[in-house]
Amino acid sequence: MDKVARLRERAKELLEKQEVVGVLGYRASSRPGISQVAFITRPEEVDRLIFDSACSQNLANYLLKVKDKGKVAVVARGCDSRSIVVLLQEKQIEREKVYILGVGCEGVVVQGEKSVACRSCRYPNPVIYDEMVGEEVHFEPETVEDEFDRLTPDEWWEVLSAEVARCIRCYACRQVCPNCYCPVCFVDASMPALVGKTHNVSDNIVFHIMRALHMAGRCVECGACHRACPMGIDLMRFNRQVAKIVRERFGLVAGAKPDEMPALTIFKPDDPQEFIR
Amino acid sequence: MAESSKFEPKIVAFLCNWCSYAGADLAGISRMQYPPNVRVLRVPCSARVDPFFILQALQQGADGVLVSGCHPGDCHYLTGNYVARRRFAVLHDLLQFCGLEPGRVTFAWVSASEGERFAQLVREVTDNVRQLGPNRKLIKEQ
Ligand code: SF4
Ligand code: SF4
Repeated sequence: MDKVARLRERAKELLEKQEVVGVLGYRASSRPGISQVAFITRPEEVDRLIFDSACSQNLANYLLKVKDKGKVAVVARGCDSRSIVVLLQEKQIEREKVYILGVGCEGVVVQGEKSVACRSCRYPNPVIYDEMVGEEVHFEPETVEDEFDRLTPDEWWEVLSAEVARCIRCYACRQVCPNCYCPVCFVDASMPALVGKTHNVSDNIVFHIMRALHMAGRCVECGACHRACPMGIDLMRFNRQVAKIVRERFGLVAGAKPDEMPALTIFKPDDPQEFIR
Repeated sequence: MAESSKFEPKIVAFLCNWCSYAGADLAGISRMQYPPNVRVLRVPCSARVDPFFILQALQQGADGVLVSGCHPGDCHYLTGNYVARRRFAVLHDLLQFCGLEPGRVTFAWVSASEGERFAQLVREVTDNVRQLGPNRKLIKEQ
């Protein structure tokens, strides 16, 4: 039985036995290559569920929106499951109220190409789940190189600032991110205002630095923000860098292990401090 | 050359109340000489220094920022500077990645008894920032 058939079957059983109030997954949209998030609550609707390379959203984000309805089943790939781990660690959801239907993922395809974030994916399979739907997936991650190695810091600054100068501050990147859930985001704070709200270059750079910083130890590099950006801004540059810093400095990978807390919520007395005078 | 020798950097220093601010105070009452380029802002703890403070200072015209707190193990709130250290490490590396000049933002530990160390730190930071020239990257054009 293929993955999708098995998924529908299990969703149906879970709903019929009333083990869950709904199943969070994906359904097709009217446009090929683009899927939508589905929250299925009736057993007769399970045939809407799909799972393929068009499934681009991180479902952990939508889990936050339906968590108060009762126990929910959620389809989770490696990245979604890691986001779920972070949400559990940050006490945003309860483990007993989520039923994780794990799926292996070959990567999201956008306009015929594998999404940048997925190319270097090291976690195609869920790190936690209640059951696996279908087989695990294995592939060699590519190394995605940033061209900054070949540029001087000044040149790289120019490249990055030209990139973020295009940001229109729509905050789609924030909206789709499962780990950007603060009730009042720093970009919306006005008393005091922490960062200017127009798309001034300096403010844009500060916004992007602070967004990346707030994701340190929490970003699972799912790439949902990058795919959501209407301006095609390569947010993965920042996300990849922050993940690298956290990995190299603190030996941690966001959401990879349930018992390893997000990097900036903990410390060690002998953390590296060569950069401090 | 004449241009750069005239440049006097403005440096914003965030000093924790319990150690570094007291260290600066000691330098003052001991009449140690250090450049008048720093504008000191006293914060309760180095952990109070939100990375926003640093970036905003640079946006609003500071040429350099100094952040200083108690040495590890000496924090008045026991673990404030340990938590801050991780946050500063990520900020430091991220700014470096973006291409901001190393030396624009300096992190330090200065205790209440290290008046001379504070004076020396300010001399060095001021020299470094003077060499770098005015902050042109993060500044917000009005
Ligand atoms: S910041 Fe982007 S890549 Fe990271 S978890 Fe959020 S949506 Fe995914
Ligand atoms: S989605 Fe893109 S344009 Fe919108 S705020 Fe985020 S980076 Fe800027």
